[in-house]
Amino acid sequence: MSTEAIAHSPSHEHVHEEAHHHVLPWYRRYLFSTDHKVIAKQFMLTSFIFLFIGGAFALIIRWQLAFPGKPIPVIGSLLPSTWVTEPGNGIITPEFFAQLLTMHGSIMIFFVIIPLAVGMFGNFCIPLMIGTNDMALPRLNMWSFWLLPPAGLIILTGFFTPSGYAAAGWTSYPPLAAQTGYPAFTFTGQTLWLIAVFLIGFSSIMGGVNYITTILNKRAKGMRLFDMPLTIWAIFITAILAVLGTPVLASGLAMLFFDNFLHTSFFLPDNLVTSSKYFGGGQPVLFQHVFWFYSHPAVYIMLVPLMGVVSDVISTFSRKPIFGYKAMIFAIASIGGLGFIVWGHHMFQSGMNPLLGTTFMLSTIVIAVPSAIKVFNWLGTLWRGDIHYSAAMLSALAFVSMFIIGGLSGVFMASAPVDIYIHDTYFIVAHIHYVLFGGSLFGIFAGLYYWFPKMFGKMLSETWGRRHLFWTFIGFNVCFFPMHVLGLGGHMRRIYDPNVYDFLKGMHPMNIIITYGAMLLGFAQLMLVGNILYSLFFGKKATRNPWRANSLEWAAPPHPGHGNFDSDITVYRGPYEYSVADRELDYWPQWEPGKAISVHHHTVAVD
Amino acid sequence: MKSVFDFLGWFPENISTFGGELDALFAIIWWVTVGIFFLTFGLMAIFMIVYRNREGHRGYNYHGNNILEIVWTILPTLLFAGIGLYSNEIWEVTKYSNRNPKPDVEILMLGKQFGWMFLYPGADGKFGRNAYTDRTARADMSATNPFGRDSLDPAGADDFMVENQFRVPVNANVIVRGSTIDVLHSFFLPHARVKQDVIPGTWMNIWFNIFKTGKYELACAELCGSGHYAMRAEYQVLSDADYDAWLDQKSAEMKGMNAAVAKEPAAADTTASATM
Repeated sequence: MSTEAIAHSPSHEHVHEEAHHHVLPWYRRYLFSTDHKVIAKQFMLTSFIFLFIGGAFALIIRWQLAFPGKPIPVIGSLLPSTWVTEPGNGIITPEFFAQLLTMHGSIMIFFVIIPLAVGMFGNFCIPLMIGTNDMALPRLNMWSFWLLPPAGLIILTGFFTPSGYAAAGWTSYPPLAAQTGYPAFTFTGQTLWLIAVFLIGFSSIMGGVNYITTILNKRAKGMRLFDMPLTIWAIFITAILAVLGTPVLASGLAMLFFDNFLHTSFFLPDNLVTSSKYFGGGQPVLFQHVFWFYSHPAVYIMLVPLMGVVSDVISTFSRKPIFGYKAMIFAIASIGGLGFIVWGHHMFQSGMNPLLGTTFMLSTIVIAVPSAIKVFNWLGTLWRGDIHYSAAMLSALAFVSMFIIGGLSGVFMASAPVDIYIHDTYFIVAHIHYVLFGGSLFGIFAGLYYWFPKMFGKMLSETWGRRHLFWTFIGFNVCFFPMHVLGLGGHMRRIYDPNVYDFLKGMHPMNIIITYGAMLLGFAQLMLVGNILYSLFFGKKATRNPWRANSLEWAAPPHPGHGNFDSDITVYRGPYEYSVADRELDYWPQWEPGKAISVHHHTVAVD
Repeated sequence: MKSVFDFLGWFPENISTFGGELDALFAIIWWVTVGIFFLTFGLMAIFMIVYRNREGHRGYNYHGNNILEIVWTILPTLLFAGIGLYSNEIWEVTKYSNRNPKPDVEILMLGKQFGWMFLYPGADGKFGRNAYTDRTARADMSATNPFGRDSLDPAGADDFMVENQFRVPVNANVIVRGSTIDVLHSFFLPHARVKQDVIPGTWMNIWFNIFKTGKYELACAELCGSGHYAMRAEYQVLSDADYDAWLDQKSAEMKGMNAAVAKEPAAADTTASATM
């Protein structure tokens, strides 16, 4: 702890910083930097590139579903001949369709949402919000980022293999994903997919270990655990989930990799009728258990950090303390704990014993409660607030409202008998997008609009921010709400051409509307990119605390350098003291000296 | 055209006995969630308008209320637990094999890339030795004999296989014993509200009872490769008389075929034993 005290003394900080600026060559500052803020930006840039790749894939999927058999406009004639039914005709093949939906899901989950939610916000926020100079293990931190670009290249290299990209869905259930029909030691799209996701898992574990260590050991003087902002609490619990869950996924991926690459048979049972002779003794459902044991908590890994971010944004712009701070923490913790005993609800129809269906149904229904508590607390925070509608706040409100819909649609599939019908239909697709786009991505936008001034020292345009969010919100709902209805009509997910089925024929107009919504949604993101680029070059310079917020990151200079703070940080109170009655200002930063007592849930300043 | 918001109107027509209960359960959850939706969105909209920032307006420093927290923990718990317990009864009836009724008709089903195969016990209602009835027969499963049938078993002489279609009698308890010969598939009868994944190496029990005659569709609901989307089949629900007629006709055809095929190897057998 003594080194920390030294690091906090301003003079040392200054010398430290100067030294770095002079000594470190450019590649240590921008490429292989150990500064948590640079690493956060690296995560941001990489994931944004993947966001556009994954989004483009989604638009091709949507085009095929709305206009099957029609050439894709503009880019159709440029597509490689292995992707289209005839060279240059721009109509994609069913094989490529399966590759697209696999890559869309995998990229969005493993290369966009997890790196943005955990990698970007975790890295950027933790040291700044707990008032320290950097992560506890900066070099490990650098490694956790530098596994991402190679993993991304590996997964995209699948295109050049004889099989093309992986095509067994992002869930990659064996036997489909375990049987390549290629000789051992052949790299196929599927094996490269497995290697890439395995590396991402490694990155998650390294990040998680680092976050837990940093949060427990490097908090500023005076900061108790219950003085931490909810963003930090949420990332802390997420990190625990990642550290506990990811190794299990890694074991499943490794077994599947061996089945593919070395022709073992972990997941291939006896008596398959296939041209391959490498099978026998395995159990395909085992993979589903192992996969969902991680991948259900992974849903919370993708969502919980943003619940924290949104809580902070809502409190700041409502100029009100967060309603039920400890209840929020306990809710997140119970989501984290229960998250490990609900995985079977993905497998109600998988053929596992229906008795397990009963137990998983009951545990799943219990996990709805902490989510409900969080929603009520957000509403409680808005109540009697003084709400400022900044882009960050609008995005946070979009998160809350879309999360309500995503949560409520989850109640349907939590009920096992209802799930019989809606399982593997578009109802599920609608649900996951309401949670992961309506939830996570709006949460990411909220955090981005909120912390951008601290990240880059420039203000984003609020007007363009509002426009971006408005069109994203409209496009999102036009795109994904009708998918619930498609699901009720029985529209299966992952099908190349719904018109094969008589019972789906009446729903085709809805597929067209959805595709227009998806296009609007996709192209609306150009406003965000334009806004960011414009602001980086011509934006207004940010002040130290532009949102008049309380948490410690706003004590740092507008564009903090290596070492973060230019003054000694001591924490005097929790992060949510907004609108304290007898103070002139409607906020009271954590680092400002002053005494207060709590009277009937109100904070009263005492001299 | 139906409205997007008229959720419950979009289900395909229900034709199975438990389908009505599933739809009713869906409707119950729908109305509960619609209620919660309007409650939360209503409060949110009111707060967003009433407490918007105005000149001279200030937030209220208030950190929360424990009684409220307890109330909004317990109420949803009771509500959701109620839904869960009510759901469980229906779940047990549809899926627990010890609660399935005694089958009137038993069919074996196998999925493959990309199609469906069904084996009927024929007019005698009895399967011969095959991969379902005898574990050791699984070794005989092949592309030409997917069910691993033992051609020497007389009980199986009238067993017959149909592909990409099946027929069941109306108002009968049908149990489909399903599996697959390659990857996972999912046996999805949208109108009958039936869905069950099938796994290679395991036989699943799929029970249903359809009360309306007609021609309907069967789809695969689990990604099984590039032809997944076209893994479609049709099934017919027939009156008892029509069904029996079909069964007799198919069994007779099958017996005739078996007799024709059996003649030659039978002759070879006798010569073999004679020379011994």
